[in-house]
Amino acid sequence: MDFDIIFGNAARAAFGPEAVILALAAVGLNVHFGFTGLLNFGQVGFLLLGAYGTSVSVATFGWSLWVGVVVGLVLSVALAVALGFPTLRLHAVMFAIVTIAAAEIIRILIGSTDAIGLTGGPLSVSFDAGAFYDLNPYPDGPHDRYGIGTFEFTGQQLWVITVGWVLVALVCLAVFLIVRSPWGRVLKSIREDEDAARSLGKNVFSYKMQALVIGGVIGGMGGVIDAIKTSGADPNGFRPQVTFFAYTALLLGGSATYLGPVLGAILFWFLREWIESFLRQLTAEAWLPDAAADFLDGTEGVISVAMVGLALVLLMLFRPQGIVGNRTEMQLDAR
Amino acid sequence: MRRWVALAGFVLCLVLAWAVPGAAQSGGDAESTEQTVVEGTLRLGFDQFFSGIKITVADEAGARVGQAITDADGRWSVEVPGAGTYLVTLDEASLPDGVSLREGYESTTPVTVAQGASRAVVFAVGEAPKGTPFGERAAQTVFNGLKFGLIIAMSAIGLSLIYGTTGLVNFAHGELVTFGAVIAWFFNSSWGGLNLIVAAILTMVVCGMLGAGLETGLFRPMRRRRLGIFQLVVVTIGLSLLGRQLIQLFFGAEPLPYSDYQVQERWEFGPWAVTPRELITVVVIFAVLVAVGLMLHGTRFGKATRAVSDNASLAEASGINVNRIVVMVWAIGAALAGLGGVFQGLDTDIDPFLGFQLLLLIFAGVELGGLGTAFGALAGSLIIGMSTEVSTLWISPELKFVVPLAALILVLLLRPQGLFGIKARVG
Amino acid sequence: MPDDLTPRPEPGPAAGEIEPILTVPPEVGAPKPNPILVVDNLTRSFGGLRAVDVDHLEMERGVVTALIGPNGAGKTTLFNLLTGFDRADTGRWSFDGQPVTSPSPDQLARKGMIRTFQLTKSLAKLTVLDNVLLGAPGQVGERLPVAPFRSRWRHQEQANTERAEELLERFNLAHMRDELAGTLSGGQRKLLEVARALMAEPVLIMLDEPMAGVNPALAQSLMRHITLLAYEGLSVVFIEHAMDVVTGISDWVVVLAQGRVIAEGPPWKVIHDDEVIDAYLGRRRAGAGS
Repeated sequence: MDFDIIFGNAARAAFGPEAVILALAAVGLNVHFGFTGLLNFGQVGFLLLGAYGTSVSVATFGWSLWVGVVVGLVLSVALAVALGFPTLRLHAVMFAIVTIAAAEIIRILIGSTDAIGLTGGPLSVSFDAGAFYDLNPYPDGPHDRYGIGTFEFTGQQLWVITVGWVLVALVCLAVFLIVRSPWGRVLKSIREDEDAARSLGKNVFSYKMQALVIGGVIGGMGGVIDAIKTSGADPNGFRPQVTFFAYTALLLGGSATYLGPVLGAILFWFLREWIESFLRQLTAEAWLPDAAADFLDGTEGVISVAMVGLALVLLMLFRPQGIVGNRTEMQLDAR
Repeated sequence: MRRWVALAGFVLCLVLAWAVPGAAQSGGDAESTEQTVVEGTLRLGFDQFFSGIKITVADEAGARVGQAITDADGRWSVEVPGAGTYLVTLDEASLPDGVSLREGYESTTPVTVAQGASRAVVFAVGEAPKGTPFGERAAQTVFNGLKFGLIIAMSAIGLSLIYGTTGLVNFAHGELVTFGAVIAWFFNSSWGGLNLIVAAILTMVVCGMLGAGLETGLFRPMRRRRLGIFQLVVVTIGLSLLGRQLIQLFFGAEPLPYSDYQVQERWEFGPWAVTPRELITVVVIFAVLVAVGLMLHGTRFGKATRAVSDNASLAEASGINVNRIVVMVWAIGAALAGLGGVFQGLDTDIDPFLGFQLLLLIFAGVELGGLGTAFGALAGSLIIGMSTEVSTLWISPELKFVVPLAALILVLLLRPQGLFGIKARVG
Repeated sequence: MPDDLTPRPEPGPAAGEIEPILTVPPEVGAPKPNPILVVDNLTRSFGGLRAVDVDHLEMERGVVTALIGPNGAGKTTLFNLLTGFDRADTGRWSFDGQPVTSPSPDQLARKGMIRTFQLTKSLAKLTVLDNVLLGAPGQVGERLPVAPFRSRWRHQEQANTERAEELLERFNLAHMRDELAGTLSGGQRKLLEVARALMAEPVLIMLDEPMAGVNPALAQSLMRHITLLAYEGLSVVFIEHAMDVVTGISDWVVVLAQGRVIAEGPPWKVIHDDEVIDAYLGRRRAGAGS
């Protein structure tokens, strides 16, 4: 068992593009849920539109990548507005379910065979993200590697994650600036009791809509990074559990904190990859009985996602406020 | 029920034609001797061949690489640029009247072909569906909708009652449904080969115990530790992920059938052709729903349950053992969800995602009717089931789940409290 | 005018002059000399139950009006209708001389009709100070394009903070300034809610049982404070369940029973009204909330 490899892999995942995408999804969700109390369970829909908006613009319409990025973000805004109008007045539970349903509708439509000509349907879509990699300042020869041990990236990968983490930092700064203002105070008041906010003259619907759009666009950015990273998009990558993973990251780090969702996303991928790598190493161990090795072989992914589920349960039981959350605040929730 | 109307194929062609206007046309004049080809023959039985049917081949990105029209012997072939995966589309609009693709075959199918090889693509056509009058097909989808709606309704009872008594939205409810289907499969096909009816009864017992165990072992202690409702909901999400993955670990990801009641002769009732299995499904669920209704309205337990739903602390104060009621609700709800899983598995085969796919529809049914109203949940579930199946008369089956979800959003737009819900007072 | 707690247009009566409200006959639906709120034919039913059924009601500007009645009389429902939190089946009303056409709670609040709630709605995870600051009207920093630029809202925020601190001082909450509102006692939350409502510079303040759960001494000081504001021109309507406490602090009393106004007049007249006593004692009904 080589723990250097295990930790190297885990660190690679923790700082890799997947963690960037998850961090953006979780930061957006933090604006929705953490600060405004909107129980958005369809965050994956925003990622999907970000990714497909970019991919389809380039692959199907032959537009430039940068136009594609804009299209992806505009589509996220459009989804927020279209979703918000009918649903923002709903009871929190109903809002949750309608948002899940909306994201699923989009995924089914985009992934259907009828949509093949436009989105690639079930076969996914791919495009040339060369315009992005042309800007890559890191030498990217076949032997250029950055990092130590298994914690290493190619020049292209390093470029994606550099841009990704800079984006995450900028987004966090922007969220910090708007949330610490009186505007953010209104958001939090809506989270606590929207009738109270209304009774003080705040247009609750308008603020919720603004929050939905902002969080949605941040999620959409995650989708854009996803599209660039994989040079395409696949409908199977946007199942409802992506939203649950984003909630896991958010709650792991601490909801309604500024850096919690980012820390949560890093930790999420670190632990998930650590478990997978550990199991892969374990399967190869000689002392493991054959039956056990056979059982484990190929199930690393299944088990690591199961561990995510278990982690959520344990987190809520033992540290509901997350890593950087405030325990007293949390206890005020219980009524 | 994979029945396509001509319109779907036509629209598909339009979409394709519009999306790839200037795509290269290949075929015919081959330079290399090593041609890479996809080909096939369209026929019915051994003597009937279809000519003049349009077949389109596109690459993975959706760009068209070629087209062919079947000849007098029903043969077609399209040369493709090289190894890879291609999408072969049969233009159903060009099929003669009374003939269509058989159940289980899509008009577009992906094929992978190796360099220099020729790959045969089978589109199985049959006489059946297009020949049946619309009225008969409509009647059949209504029956399917009823059956599906009843399965949803039975699975929804637990979700609705648990929400009513504890305010908890159980995202792991879908996994209770899957668990039921899978445990019954183990009883039926894997361990000892029990008859499915016996297996289903055992499954209800196991699921009921699991439900009661979750409440006493997990949710009650959590409520006692004063965790908020949101935390509890997150726990159910965690359980849902955990449960689904564990089921996948032990059952596998591939769909499997039960070993009983698979092949059955259909009975004809006027426009309906129904297997005994389907009939039993409908009758049993209907009986269960009536029994639950009677229990909720006629027995002491039912009254106590409704009292707890109405106001738990008031019920507690008037001497009702709220904890006992909630455990019972969990046990009954989980048992019914498990049974729902067995029926759904009987209908579509069992896989680890069976319940999660149903979950959204269960939610939709419960919400459509109005959260926390038992009658509303039943009516909502039936509407969801019906709209899912009946929509296949007009749209492609792979899109059928879109219809009820869209219907849900539309209804909530007009009546945010659901069809039968009542608005609460502010303040 | 950050330190001005009384942003009302009409001045109170000059010293020595008789309160105009005292010239009004104690009859149901009596017209008032200078009404802030005029209600016509307002009804709301829940199922078969008529929760509110008011033919005509006027509330005088610049005085303290008490709305009393037994449980289930429709007091809170009337509040909900007037402030836009519930939709009336029929009826019209006007506020501050303007007909209310499409009542939305936040619009009415921005026009100066500020209410509090029977079950306090303190914002548990905001600090006490933030709770009060939220009430301040016309904050530029609440607009998204301005929000990120602190320099553009800092001065207004400072001024608001000073005013908020004064209010907290008055309601004995200054020492709790930076605590989360969720940690306050029930009575303190009531006070906080009133302070927050006053921060919103109301023209008409509508308080739903402001004294329930507040310790008697503090309740007295709260109501003295409110009477003073009324004297300076603020219009006050408050719901109270108990008849006896309203006499000392209200200028006018409106009695509601089973959704209807059964009596109105100065407190010392109303409490001797037979129908009122009947409503409280004789035909007392248990209803679903008040």
